[in-house]
Amino acid sequence: MIDALFSQTNYAAMKKMLDATALQHEAIASNLANVEKPGYKRMELNASFANELKSAIGSQDSEQIQSLQPSIAVDANAISNTRDGNTVQLEKELMNMNQNTIAHAVETQLVTGQLLRLRLAITGRPS
Amino acid sequence: MNILTGVNATSSALEAERIRMEVISQNIANAEVSHGPDGKPYQRQQVVFQTLLSQQPGMGGTAPGESGIQVARIEKDQRAPRLVFNPTSKDADANGMVAMPDINIHEEMADLITASRAFEANLAVVRNARTMALQTLSIGKR
Repeated sequence: MIDALFSQTNYAAMKKMLDATALQHEAIASNLANVEKPGYKRMELNASFANELKSAIGSQDSEQIQSLQPSIAVDANAISNTRDGNTVQLEKELMNMNQNTIAHAVETQLVTGQLLRLRLAITGRPS
Repeated sequence: MNILTGVNATSSALEAERIRMEVISQNIANAEVSHGPDGKPYQRQQVVFQTLLSQQPGMGGTAPGESGIQVARIEKDQRAPRLVFNPTSKDADANGMVAMPDINIHEEMADLITASRAFEANLAVVRNARTMALQTLSIGKR
């Protein structure tokens, strides 16, 4: 019964987005660690996750959102700029990383906001 | 479980890049050494990186996890020594030529800067991971 408190679609979606940003950071960390290794192929959050999440949010089905599983995979579309076959571009990765950190900040704020509203509803006083 | 996401790969990369910088500084320091411990001119050295596969897969299960990097070996560059005319040197041959290490200081500096940029990028990863961890810890606080 109390599960209903934490299974609203928005809340479930935020949690999934937090998972995805954490995983994305892992992928970026791996890319930047291997920026100097010949032949390394950059990794990325699987491209279908964003679309699946979007359609799951659209259907307002929290079960469906919770069943989504972000994963990291080799980015097949990346083209190598150098002759050593490494597809990592340093400045692009750093930009992605900073965007990802900001996205993480937004998502934690959203989750916090949701929890605080819940607390307000329970206690009746803003604290 | 890892509070700082992705730091396994990052810390291995920091170490590998540091070793690379040490090897480069060794090359620069020995650029003029015509008589090494073995009596031969210093041979330029370079690092060879290899992938360090993570023990645990990524959170997705079957997907490849983060992969780190490590120094596989430090190998000697087999380029031939540069001959310099210096008949007063003890190492000079019958023609007065001294074999010097063929180290191009420009090449070494370019490598050094590349390595230090890669090092900085990995430090930025740690900084961002820390920010994200602190944000996560503050969930639920106002």
